[in-house]
Amino acid sequence: MKQWLLSVGGGGEGCMCRRPESPARTQNLHGAPLEPLMTPMQHGTPRPPSYPSDMEASMMLPKQRASTASSLSSLPYRRSNSSLHKLFESTLSLSGSRPSSGTATPTPSSVLPSSTLSPGSRQNGTGTPSSLPPGVSDEYRTLIQRAFVPHVAVLADDASEALIRGKGLEGGLLQLLRPFGETVPGKITIRDSIGASKSHADFGIRFVDPLGLAARSHATQADTATRNSQEARVSTSSMSERRTGGDVAVIEDLVERHLQYSEYNSHGMAAEYAVQTEQSEPSSSPFYTLYLRRLLSGLPLATHETFAHPVASVIAVSSRNPNPTEEFRRLYSRQREGDLRLPQWVDNDHLRYYVLVHEEETGDIVKANQIYEQMKRHFGLNCHLLRLKSQQCISSDDDSVRLPTSQAVVPQMERNVATWNEQVLSRRRGISGRFMSLSKRWTPFGSSRSSSPAIGSSNSNYDPLQGFYRPDAPEALMRKLADYSFMLRDFKLALSTYDILRTDFNNDKAWRHYAGAAEMSALSALLSTAPQSTKTRAESIDGWIEAASYSYTDRQRSAAPYYALRTLALSLELLRLRSPAAADDAARWASRILEVGLVGPVGHALFTERVSACYAVRTGLGTLHFGSRRRKAAFWAVMAAESWFRLDKALQAEKCVDLALRFYGVRSENAVSQLGGVINAIPFPAMQAFIDELRQEILAMRLRFRGVDGAEEEGGHGSDVGSATLEVEQSVTETETETLDRSPRAHRKSLIGAVAPGDPLGLAGEGGRNDHFE
Amino acid sequence: MSYTFTILSPTDTPLFTHDFGTSRSGGDGIPRFTSTERSLIPFILHSALDIVEEVQWGPSTSAGSAPMYLKHIDKYQNNFISCWITGGNVRFLLLTRPRDEALGLTGGGGGSGQKGSLAGGRAGMAGSGLLYSPTNPATEEAVKNFFVDVYESWLKTIMNPFFNVGNGDVVKSPVFRARVAAAAKKYL
Repeated sequence: MKQWLLSVGGGGEGCMCRRPESPARTQNLHGAPLEPLMTPMQHGTPRPPSYPSDMEASMMLPKQRASTASSLSSLPYRRSNSSLHKLFESTLSLSGSRPSSGTATPTPSSVLPSSTLSPGSRQNGTGTPSSLPPGVSDEYRTLIQRAFVPHVAVLADDASEALIRGKGLEGGLLQLLRPFGETVPGKITIRDSIGASKSHADFGIRFVDPLGLAARSHATQADTATRNSQEARVSTSSMSERRTGGDVAVIEDLVERHLQYSEYNSHGMAAEYAVQTEQSEPSSSPFYTLYLRRLLSGLPLATHETFAHPVASVIAVSSRNPNPTEEFRRLYSRQREGDLRLPQWVDNDHLRYYVLVHEEETGDIVKANQIYEQMKRHFGLNCHLLRLKSQQCISSDDDSVRLPTSQAVVPQMERNVATWNEQVLSRRRGISGRFMSLSKRWTPFGSSRSSSPAIGSSNSNYDPLQGFYRPDAPEALMRKLADYSFMLRDFKLALSTYDILRTDFNNDKAWRHYAGAAEMSALSALLSTAPQSTKTRAESIDGWIEAASYSYTDRQRSAAPYYALRTLALSLELLRLRSPAAADDAARWASRILEVGLVGPVGHALFTERVSACYAVRTGLGTLHFGSRRRKAAFWAVMAAESWFRLDKALQAEKCVDLALRFYGVRSENAVSQLGGVINAIPFPAMQAFIDELRQEILAMRLRFRGVDGAEEEGGHGSDVGSATLEVEQSVTETETETLDRSPRAHRKSLIGAVAPGDPLGLAGEGGRNDHFE
Repeated sequence: MSYTFTILSPTDTPLFTHDFGTSRSGGDGIPRFTSTERSLIPFILHSALDIVEEVQWGPSTSAGSAPMYLKHIDKYQNNFISCWITGGNVRFLLLTRPRDEALGLTGGGGGSGQKGSLAGGRAGMAGSGLLYSPTNPATEEAVKNFFVDVYESWLKTIMNPFFNVGNGDVVKSPVFRARVAAAAKKYL
């Protein structure tokens, strides 16, 4: 059965926040054939929100989950949770994981949870140069590369929006196109600045709506539309939130919700989380991956970087429109000068791609073809006819995105890069450019260097009052050139351009721009495949990261903690992948995140865990493992366990404690009892005591959670869970006898109380500060 | 300033631990760790052993000779760790927790960044006179003198035929403790 199965689920990288309260809607999109104006409520009999039988067949669910889901849905209490489960699962899995066979209809990516497990499969020689240490996956590198992709703005006329909404896609054309852009099928060949071609199989583009138009216009139309208002409200709210990016608090919120869910459903979903961690890198938590991915999704439109600025825009008009060519012109001029124009610091001369949307049922294909021919005459080659049918798609739908990308967007970017390289960069680099920049600095009036650049000094292109460069200023063009080449993965050119930009921005005292350039210098240096010596790394890259994080936060009046976090998190991941020798630096940046307080409580726990993982990469030399960071890794794992415990996340805490014990060389008690071995204790008695106490409290907490929903769970768990419960009970009685007269949580000594001082944003303190003088 | 001095056996077992405060500049010699810090200290000391091993077996910085005094080797947040290593691979670790004022934390925080230590953590405060700096020559010298005195007492203790250091015997001698305290009072 061929369907337009465009998942809301795995579709958008930018889906920041998915509300779990719309199960029916998801089901509609995944399950029932999409007919115009059909809502699930129009069924004669209300469908129970479990999977219909045909669904299960088409969704290729792994056996284990299918059984879990069905057993869950048989319980009255759990009924709503099976669809909830689905939602959580879909946000967790990597989007764009649909099979990239040429003409296949895309299956919802959310049904392939294995995507997070095999991220390296798309790798084609662009991996980290040095061979990775065993047990370290390239997952995050791929993630980072796929985060910085060209953005394409989508603009559709009212008729085509209505048409697509009629098919059940509330987000209109944007929502229709979005999943296809995540990974453009087939290989995209990119020529870099020196003319060498390289093809990438995992290239993607991101369709965006930079002004949030779809949500807005839809909100106004929602009243008149013939569908229930509830649904409209839900989708509108999720829509508007989806567009925003760069808000750390929202990410925290989302991950927290996932954590909470896994905590209380420890036998269904959490089993899957566990499976995922086993198969991917053992030290990386799926929640951390989720956090990082959400951090990178939906890059905000900003003055100091052009990643989110549209590289091209799609203008779509329905074939129902009486005069499509005129409508195209109208939309174009509205976007160029009229009410749809982007902020003035966005370059407006990007590529326009004209799409004629044609619906098979109602429209006349002959007429559409005529219009299409006419369009081709008017607008040249950048036209496309998109034919939609309610149940199946006519044109091979992958090509709908592939052709524009490979034939229009990428060549356009290549051309731009080449042009700017020639006209702006080389002029700036040559003798005259240097002279000019010198003369700019040393004007005869002697004003530019000493005085503040405040009152728009004529020799700087920076506008300090509004804080941006005009899009046609050489600096802005160079930044764009650098960003384009970064997106096209020509990291060498990008790095050299960012290098020049850094000095320019520094001279202009454009601190946020400076920070951006420093950040991207570091990232492109780390992403490039050229080998680096330890010395260059220590000297330059560390300096850039330092400069970027400092300039993003402390140096300017309006701090941008999101960008600082992005800088540090990405550099730490890339450093960690570089070599074990760089793991120390990676751990240092990770602990910087914690100390500066860029993250909230959830992020704090996750990044603490990450420090441990960074140290764990460093295994040391020889049989005696000199230079390993085993003890440090263990220490940070204990810290992470403590953080999780304070957040009431027993599962995560337990995982961290087990990890710590493994690092300390102590097998956990379960394993020992099975193997009949001896528990070798941690040499420090104080540490042993602390960890024992922590373990017992975590177990007690798990038991408490189990008590909350234990009643419904009898059927659910297998033998292992049962034995775990037994063990929990035993240890809890122990805890209780030990701590008869004191409440365990109030008086237990804590590691986290020692919050790093110097916390400008005040985010790091998570209630631990008060017990300093206990 | 508060200090914790720990002697660790080659198998990472603590043999002797002594907490004390500074006696310099009007200090009363009483340690002022918060309860949080106190429970953190074993972990910090233990994790510092990673760095000790690396410095110990890594390329020598002082040509030819292998120094016993490894100076400041690690830090975690505001805890600085210095190390002395004996011929029998017994590690002396001294953890220093300067007062907040000495770190420049009370006066508006910040301070110019400086390259972090091996272990990482917040970039140390640049050493301008008043601020504590573990690599300050005076600090290094004081810690060294302390270690030398303790080492002498340690040698005398392990020469006791009834004390089996290889077995991980914990030092119980009150004389040794008194000598460590005296050295602490004298130098730190």
